[in-house]
Amino acid sequence: MKRRGRIGFGGTFPVLLLGLLPCLVQGPQLHAQPGASSTSLGHRKGDFGDETALYAETKQVNQFFRRFNAEETRDGERLYPESEGYHDPAFRESFLDILFDNERFASGASAQLKDRFTGQVLGRDGQAPVFLDFHGSHWFAELECLFQYGGKEQPLTIFLHLEADRLGHKWVIDQVRFAPYAERIPPPREAGDEFLHPLSHELDFMNLAKVFRSSKDLAGYLPQGWTPDPLTLFLLDVAEGNMRFRTVRSLRFHFLQVPGWYFRLEDVQREGYNTGWLITELQRIDPAARHAKRLAIQFGL
Amino acid sequence: MNPTPFSTHRSAPAAPEGPRSAQRFIGFLGLFLMAFLALPAGLAAQSGEDVGPERKRAIDSLALEKVRDLSKYIAIVGNKETPVSEADRVIARTLELFAPGSEMGVSSINSPDIQYYPVRRYLERLMQLNYDRVEIDWYDIQYISDLERQPDGKYVGVITIYQRFSGYKQGFEGSQLQYKDTTKKDITVYVERKETQIGGRTIGFWDVLLGDVRVTETRR
Repeated sequence: MKRRGRIGFGGTFPVLLLGLLPCLVQGPQLHAQPGASSTSLGHRKGDFGDETALYAETKQVNQFFRRFNAEETRDGERLYPESEGYHDPAFRESFLDILFDNERFASGASAQLKDRFTGQVLGRDGQAPVFLDFHGSHWFAELECLFQYGGKEQPLTIFLHLEADRLGHKWVIDQVRFAPYAERIPPPREAGDEFLHPLSHELDFMNLAKVFRSSKDLAGYLPQGWTPDPLTLFLLDVAEGNMRFRTVRSLRFHFLQVPGWYFRLEDVQREGYNTGWLITELQRIDPAARHAKRLAIQFGL
Repeated sequence: MNPTPFSTHRSAPAAPEGPRSAQRFIGFLGLFLMAFLALPAGLAAQSGEDVGPERKRAIDSLALEKVRDLSKYIAIVGNKETPVSEADRVIARTLELFAPGSEMGVSSINSPDIQYYPVRRYLERLMQLNYDRVEIDWYDIQYISDLERQPDGKYVGVITIYQRFSGYKQGFEGSQLQYKDTTKKDITVYVERKETQIGGRTIGFWDVLLGDVRVTETRR
């Protein structure tokens, strides 16, 4: 039945059909799946046409977490720790398979990398399985925006992470990346001949006067390891009315929660069943280098 | 082709049930759900404000009911046969579904930049779409996120639904399709624990309001 000009939920409470595991339509390789038989599903018919692709799509980042961890059924119903199938390894494996952008991880080295990652996440290496934690650290958002600045529209990237606050959580702006700031802020550099000698304090730092007279570049007088803070400049520009928000252009997420791995999550929209929030980039990294990886992403290094 | 600025568009003739009967039904349903979700304040205090699986399901139902109301009202507002006075009244009802300051963020395949509209402005523009006839089909699928708690103690969730729109204009050879698209709507849902006095007793209940709506065109 096709419904026109009215709401398609019907007059009674609907059964909450919330999502369909895409691999169910890909063939019989699926393992145990709570909530239904493994072979009978086929395509999902809605009130008009085939809705299988919409069921298959990983529609929210929330669903990516739940599928990655096997915390929902193939119909998208929430599983809880006491539920059958919660964190089930075989169920999870079938979910993990379709959370990758298959156009990038179909074969070759990338497919092998994916297999190694999946093996570690499932605990096949003898270690404990790894689950993603929505409230945990080591994942953050990258938001590509447009701002009106200096008389023209310019792209500016905002990085955000989740932070606990009082009774719940909130996203907070962690850093920004903006080309005009990069041009204005001196890059970090090796120590040179510019310094304030260690007894400067005895002379009320009178040598600072010479520093300010002779140079506008104070980078040599900063602590080792100092990194520029574009966020402060951004706050000043917003407060002074120099920066006006226009729109958001794209969003992606960076995950460093799986020890020894980095992956990127993006919304892939195209025809077919392998769509929605998918892993589009996967790299092995030194487990001790998570912070460095984060800085590299934020500063575009 | 005549692209529309919205994902929700002028609808075909309104649903068989008119706004008044729909409101009576919704009102009854709301009372039923409120009663279902209510529990004495003392008990609520004992159990804290955690949302367990059973309560989550009940809240999901209430939230979905609000989303259905929204979709129904949009169809009425978008219908060219709806008198302006009636459309104004339905817009007022629609705004009651939303938390103050809620906006619609709309993008399309051709124009990925998000345009932001206050809900009232969005609905007013919906009334002005220039088609002779439109069809709005709602896909059966809906996806409901977990409820996450904000710093102020309110819970927030997101419901995702999909809609197909077709806009027709009258030509020499009859009604001709001018534009069609499929859009994804991610609708914010705020869930707050409140209390009310009924018969001298303090009853706690979970109240649901809609918030910002992100509208993304996914295909044409």
